[in-house]
Amino acid sequence: MNAKIRDMIVTNFLAIAAGLILSGLMLLLLKINPIPVFKEALTTIITDKYTLGDVFLKATPLIFTALSFAFAFKANLFNIGAQGQFYMGSIVAIAVSLQLQGKVPTIVLLMIVFALTMVAGGLIGAFIGFLKAHYNANEFLVSMMSTYVVLALMNYLLRTFLKESKGEYPQTDALTRDAWIPNLLDGTRLHVGFIVAILVAIGVWILLYKTPLGYRIRAVGSNASAAEMSGIPSKKIYIITFFISGALAGMAGFTEVNGVQHMLIQDFNSGIGSAGLGIAILANANPIGIIFASILFGALNVIGNLMGRMPGVNVPASIVDLMQGFVMIFVIVSYFFRSYLENRREKLKLQKKAVGE
Amino acid sequence: MIVSLLSRALMMSTPLLYGSIAEVIAERTGMMVTAIEGIFLMGAWGGFVGTYLTGSAFIGILMAMATGTMTAAIYGIVCIFLKQHQVVTGTAINILAAGFCTYFQRVLFGIPTSPLKIDPLSQIAIPVLSKIPVIGPIFFYQNSLTYLVYFIIPLSYFLLFRTSIGLIIRSTGENPEAVDVAGINVNGVRFVVVLLAGVMGGVAGAFYSVGYLGMFTTNMIGGRGWIAFAICFLGNWNPKGAVIGTVVFGFTEAIAIYMQSIGGGSYFPNELFIALPYILTIVLTVCRKNFNVPAKLGVAYSKEN
Amino acid sequence: MEAPYFELRNVSKYFARVVANKDISFSIGHGEVVALLGENGAGKSTVMKILYGLYKADEGQIFMEGKEQKINSPKDAMALGISMIQQHFSLVPAHTVTENIILGNVHGKIDYEACKKTVKNLAQQYGFDIPVDAKVSDLAVGVQQKVEILKALYLDAKLLIMDEPTAVLTPQESEKLMEFVKNYTKKGNSVIFITHKLKEVMEVADRIVVMRNGILCGNLNSKETNEIELARKMIGKDIVPAERKKEDTKQEKEVKLKVNRILVQKKGELPILHDISFDIKAGEIFGIAGVSGNGQDELCEVISGARKVTEGEILLNDEDITKLSIQERIEKGMGYVPVDRHRDAMIMNMTLSENMMLKTSFNKKWKKHGLIDKTKLDAYTKKAIEDYMIKAPGPDAEAKGLSGGNQQKVILAREVDNGKELLILNQPTRGLDLGAINNIHTAVLEERNKGKSVLLVSTELTEIFDLCDRIAVIYKGGFMGIYNHDELTTGKIGLLMAGYVREGEV
Repeated sequence: MNAKIRDMIVTNFLAIAAGLILSGLMLLLLKINPIPVFKEALTTIITDKYTLGDVFLKATPLIFTALSFAFAFKANLFNIGAQGQFYMGSIVAIAVSLQLQGKVPTIVLLMIVFALTMVAGGLIGAFIGFLKAHYNANEFLVSMMSTYVVLALMNYLLRTFLKESKGEYPQTDALTRDAWIPNLLDGTRLHVGFIVAILVAIGVWILLYKTPLGYRIRAVGSNASAAEMSGIPSKKIYIITFFISGALAGMAGFTEVNGVQHMLIQDFNSGIGSAGLGIAILANANPIGIIFASILFGALNVIGNLMGRMPGVNVPASIVDLMQGFVMIFVIVSYFFRSYLENRREKLKLQKKAVGE
Repeated sequence: MIVSLLSRALMMSTPLLYGSIAEVIAERTGMMVTAIEGIFLMGAWGGFVGTYLTGSAFIGILMAMATGTMTAAIYGIVCIFLKQHQVVTGTAINILAAGFCTYFQRVLFGIPTSPLKIDPLSQIAIPVLSKIPVIGPIFFYQNSLTYLVYFIIPLSYFLLFRTSIGLIIRSTGENPEAVDVAGINVNGVRFVVVLLAGVMGGVAGAFYSVGYLGMFTTNMIGGRGWIAFAICFLGNWNPKGAVIGTVVFGFTEAIAIYMQSIGGGSYFPNELFIALPYILTIVLTVCRKNFNVPAKLGVAYSKEN
Repeated sequence: MEAPYFELRNVSKYFARVVANKDISFSIGHGEVVALLGENGAGKSTVMKILYGLYKADEGQIFMEGKEQKINSPKDAMALGISMIQQHFSLVPAHTVTENIILGNVHGKIDYEACKKTVKNLAQQYGFDIPVDAKVSDLAVGVQQKVEILKALYLDAKLLIMDEPTAVLTPQESEKLMEFVKNYTKKGNSVIFITHKLKEVMEVADRIVVMRNGILCGNLNSKETNEIELARKMIGKDIVPAERKKEDTKQEKEVKLKVNRILVQKKGELPILHDISFDIKAGEIFGIAGVSGNGQDELCEVISGARKVTEGEILLNDEDITKLSIQERIEKGMGYVPVDRHRDAMIMNMTLSENMMLKTSFNKKWKKHGLIDKTKLDAYTKKAIEDYMIKAPGPDAEAKGLSGGNQQKVILAREVDNGKELLILNQPTRGLDLGAINNIHTAVLEERNKGKSVLLVSTELTEIFDLCDRIAVIYKGGFMGIYNHDELTTGKIGLLMAGYVREGEV
């Protein structure tokens, strides 16, 4: 058991390091020396409170989208549509906030918006789950396609009903401070949404591992046939799971609209769906692990941005995608090495025992 | 006008045909090529770079095959030999592909002051045939990649259902153990078809950059790899079905472009047309029944334990 | 002395969690039938898969006629004239017989007509009646086996390895297979026969190689040994005493389960089950004998609620349960051990505790403040581990870490407790070693004596005869008749299993 945990820590660490080193080597192609650049970025993160706050700020929506993927994954379902569910949540968040701001107290507004973003994302999820349960539709394809549909819907709304009063750009009006999620730390952009994300992650963990419903979800995910034979209706579980999965992604809309952007713009946070998937893999779909993996991805994001802004260096923003992509691939490969190491250990143990006999 | 619409539809279908037929062959061995979106993108990028640097579209397309195959090879190694999850790996590779070509576009070309352009493939009129009314302008006034796909369709069908290789491919997806017992290397078969999907997917991607738009942007594939993936499902894992599925999609896309061009936006929102292929996929996924799914689709093969 | 046809020397194979083979050495001569005898998990299949090139040995050598051979893949084995028929056939169900036989053995464009002709001729030559155009999934298991044999003959195999070939056959079909083996070896070919059935071994083998726990523990001439000696070698201790005889209490008991004219049929297809009626009384074991695939699994599913009936009704304690869901039936006191425990009864990557609550996850007894009452569940699991002598580290051990026999005991413990009224057992001892089988038989008899009703489906005739009070024989989805325990003999039941008409009918 100990060796197993050691393997996990070592291989994950090596995977992340390999991803970063490879991305660093890529910087050499632009004739940039990666070492001072990384060093400066890391120093800034550690010493500058604002930047450090941004790491957690960036991690917040990632926690939600990663939980979204991981939750469905526990039922052996693929929700690749977290991006769309997040957009749906964002649309609802901005529309409702614009209506209610100034009319109700902030705390009431935030609670209503939070609940509605959950429902918005959840309904899209439940729709996918419904198609899976009753028409045996491939949930992977449907969820993937749903993102593009929601994206089109969002663009349409930004051009029409939600368009700013000035009528210039396809974006909404900004929210007044009444509708903002309160700040967590002075001198940073970090807001209470981060705490909400952590609480939700813990809640998801309890739901999955400590309640009968979570047990049934995992049972269906591990062996749908045995679960069905045991009287657990997998169709119902598919719909429930997808609702929760979608709701989790929808919540990211709340924290991003009311907490960070305070408005809705085109193509906003376009990578958090897929990054969430990568984080879920990195954390082996464990809700608590997701918190840490999200912070890592948040940090990668901030590092990338810092590099881009460094005077005279000119690192392209796409280095962030590259870093994330490399880290993901190496983490997947590390899964192989972990099981390889474990098998070899067991085999050696047996061989020794056999010789000893 | 209808003729130009149909000609357009056929053109828009070409890359989907390459992609979906490649996907059909691969999935028949049990390999879902979920990296197809990334393969398309890398193909589009490789095709653009090759063409831009050499001025030859032919070399560009070869380059697209190379970048597509490279992407597929990474996918194949991780999924087949390291036995990792196909959906998870594919998604990671798609993210990496997006980062990779954006970054290297910048490495190669810096920040250009005006968008980089290449000449898209020209339409070639086939003598005599292109003069046939209606059919001629639709089928025989296309670019070379479309003509190539005319041969690939029957060839893929013949390969799958009339040859020993096809029998092995189809058996691998249904019962890899039977193939193994027959003395054929299951993972080898799978790797080869995944590489083939890389070649064909690369060409498909190049169609967008080299064959049609004459430029490269990171979002130019925009889920079309996934649509090729969907067509394979909807076409019941058969090249014939893939052709039918592709034509439907190509037609939808052509209508969307056409409606936008004639200002259909005043009646319907443009976004509706943009979303149409995706909505269609969802609808067809739901309607399509009696799937002929390869029994071991998505399952890694390992014989010990 | 002439070198043997094939010889294995000190072959060892280690898997990640078990030693599959250790120092296995034996040989096979031309025209010889060697039986490889051992219990499930003794490593018989593994050593043969090494000979066939499917597995790579970690240590050891293989010789053919005195010359060392490296067999790295089945291709190499085939080139040496070795063919192997796997226990779970390696056929592609969606393809035709011809396509299956020529797989990997044709090149380029396939001339299907010519191939069909070759296959047909070959089949005729050996007297096999096989439709070469039919899809394998449409064929009965006995015929599928013939396809497998034909595949080997198509390759002109000189050494045929058969892994548990009679497991899926009726007694009559088995006899025919034995005949084929005798004819085949008469021509100078050799056969290795993997089995755990002593009777077959005595009948067909020239020499018997016995394996236990991955090591070779006997290499005997069949003329110089007997079943008792073989059994002792195979099990490693004296033979387990036979099952307890049932104390026959003749008085009428109340009927627990009543099944009335069940029909299961998909539109436009032949019925899967038809005209099935029977009842089971309290304290009775009702057996269903038959070759697997004749509707037994479906019948169990119909009673447990996993499959809907087209017509007919099911009553439990006089209450109509035909329309009830699986969950409702569990609550009424129905326990069910399905045939495929890996697929249908266990979640291998969950703990034993979690597996123990699989059927009762809706029950309030496991709930405390909305969460799972782990203390209670663990105590319950611990008790099951003790009561059933399950070899497991504890309630938190993962199910996949247990041996097949212990996994089955976990399931049995759960189902015996769930099945307060009725216990359905579908081949509960399939794939288990004799010790585990004995344990399970004892437990089942105990439940019967406590007054529980048991429905036992089995393809092992000895199991049926040892345990059941009444026996129904199923063939193609219908009963061939219901008999009292003493009304049947092996011969008669064999005929019924093969679908020969019921007694009294012409």
